[in-house]
Amino acid sequence: MPKVWVARGLKKGVLTSRFPADRPTSAEIPESALPPSPTPGADWRAGRKECPTGAIRAEEERVDLGMCIYCRRCSSAGFSFGEGAGQESRALQAGAVADVARATRRAFRRSLHVMMIDVGSCNACNLEVLNLSNPYYDLTRLGITFTNSPKHADALIVVGALNRAMVDVLKRTYESMPEPKMVISVGACAISGGAFTGTEGFVSPVGEAVPVDVVVPGCPPTPIQVLEGLLLATGRMTKATRP
Amino acid sequence: MAYSNRVEVRRVEMLEDGVQLASVFKIGDHTYVMLSDTKANKTVLSELPPTLGEEFGPLLKGVDAPAGAHLDMDPGGRVEGYGVFEFPYGPVSFGVPEAGGFKLVTYGERVIKVVPQVNFKKRGVEQASIGRSPQDALILVERSAGNFSASYSTCFLTAVEESLGLEVPSKARWTRAAAVELERIYNHLHVFGRLAEAASQNVAAAQANALKEDVLRLNSKHFGHRYLFGLSVVGGVRRELSKAECKELSNASRVIAREFSELVSYFLSSRIFLDRLQGTAKLAAADALRLGAVGPAARGSGIQWDDRLTYPIEPYEDIYVNMETDSGEDAMARTMVRVNEVESSTVVLREILDRIPGDGARAGAEGHRSRVDLPDDFSFCRVESPSGDLVQVVRLDNEGRVSGLHIRPPSLVNWLPLAKSLQGNVFTDFQFAFESFGLSFADSDR
Ligand code: SF4
Repeated sequence: MPKVWVARGLKKGVLTSRFPADRPTSAEIPESALPPSPTPGADWRAGRKECPTGAIRAEEERVDLGMCIYCRRCSSAGFSFGEGAGQESRALQAGAVADVARATRRAFRRSLHVMMIDVGSCNACNLEVLNLSNPYYDLTRLGITFTNSPKHADALIVVGALNRAMVDVLKRTYESMPEPKMVISVGACAISGGAFTGTEGFVSPVGEAVPVDVVVPGCPPTPIQVLEGLLLATGRMTKATRP
Repeated sequence: MAYSNRVEVRRVEMLEDGVQLASVFKIGDHTYVMLSDTKANKTVLSELPPTLGEEFGPLLKGVDAPAGAHLDMDPGGRVEGYGVFEFPYGPVSFGVPEAGGFKLVTYGERVIKVVPQVNFKKRGVEQASIGRSPQDALILVERSAGNFSASYSTCFLTAVEESLGLEVPSKARWTRAAAVELERIYNHLHVFGRLAEAASQNVAAAQANALKEDVLRLNSKHFGHRYLFGLSVVGGVRRELSKAECKELSNASRVIAREFSELVSYFLSSRIFLDRLQGTAKLAAADALRLGAVGPAARGSGIQWDDRLTYPIEPYEDIYVNMETDSGEDAMARTMVRVNEVESSTVVLREILDRIPGDGARAGAEGHRSRVDLPDDFSFCRVESPSGDLVQVVRLDNEGRVSGLHIRPPSLVNWLPLAKSLQGNVFTDFQFAFESFGLSFADSDR
């Protein structure tokens, strides 16, 4: 039996991503993960009318990626995805905002224990975060491991639109983590409520319940984007050193 | 095929033999029941007879539960006494990577009662859809359960388009079906990977997960999204597959089926794996029927119901689908149903891709098949999602906005069967039982 597995492994070859040493490939960051950006002829007001989440801020002429659910409806108003939308770095693209105190970053440079908590997601973000441990992404090669207990966790990945039934659970989980600690909001729902803003169960963005250090926009963000968020959070990658 | 072959309106006074309750819903001033007649392969609709109210109540607990508090899906029966220990599992745990939990009542190492706790993530998709245009409601509907989004959107749109009397191009319907089959394949691979992980077969789990990633990448390459969001719009699909793409996808699905069957054959020679599944979490056929089990959970107990055959929407009327059932009634049987469905789903997918019509027009409008002669006007659809029968009932107002939406998710009706099947098992089997049902809290809570 064990021999069979080795043979299978060899036959399949190395699947693991070259990221962060190299740029992510287009299979890793497909077009559906690229955020909208205005073309020169973009009509901001038409875009705002099309946008179901209010991500298009016509007055400020900017797209709030934390609200965007990547639905592509604004393409009719002259917003483009992919070509020209900052192709130089296909990942994140000004998406993640890392705001972690330097001291925290230094502590987690070499190893990071991550716990995921779901506070009301559709399950897609959960699956993308879990996918980080499949052979294509292989999180442990970077010294990042998942843990089941908040008492062992350095970082908390929060997914989902914060539900009224989960607010206390989230707060208690956060409080039982040892210091130093950080929180990463993954997906539009966690960052802003996304598609579920205004539904009966939704309370507030995660950031209003616990302090959030890093956000990873997307609906859902791909595993590579989540990984990039983790690397930004630990200071192992900065906007300048992005491949 | 006219709808009258598949849908029947009749007054039901009691649950006959072989008939399963599918859903209860309120439209206008009336409450209706939908039943699955597993003997005649028919969907039966009736106004809710007052005599049946009591009996149906507990089965559909959770259908109208409000958001903001969790809900105990208590299968009934009090268990107390010396040595009986009750402990909570969830809503934050790694065994269940979602917000949802269980109350486990144990005596020694035996589980004597399980109470699934749901609604931690109830967002309220149905209420929030009211007053929206179908296109806006779709954004919520397809995010009810991210990993069943193709099933959700197909089900919702089929009902909406029928209400609107839209002629939808056949090509669009066939494309949606291809997406639904891919969704089934990756979800089954996911369940298989989770089971392998639970048995600590890490290498095998990694391989199953790699295959799942392959399918997700196919989704994003050919349908524009890893989880198939945004593929369908009211009246059609946003992407059309070219002939070359169909061929590519068809070949890729063949490779996936082959690799998976190799993986499975290694697995079936592993005693460790088989021991954990065989005889675990038995669900008798009679219980499956009575408690409302659907999908692989029901077919693993020998129940013959698969919406692709029993409520075939286009293109399933024209396509050969093999109903995978197993009479083993245990976790192994449910796993084998899924394993065989990966294979047969790729066959279905290939047939769809081979025969996908190139035209725009719809072949022979068959009229309103789900609109039947009842006091209130509504349309409904049933779609076989990866975890079983998904029911949606839609009503639109005069301006074409959603004025009523009822979703009966497959996971919701599978909690009680899961709880039933766990009774008397050893505690360490919990993970295998749970994964073998393949349920999602996002789906059941919506
Ligand atoms: S992609 Fe959708 S959510 Fe994002 S800005 Fe455009 S319209 Fe708004």
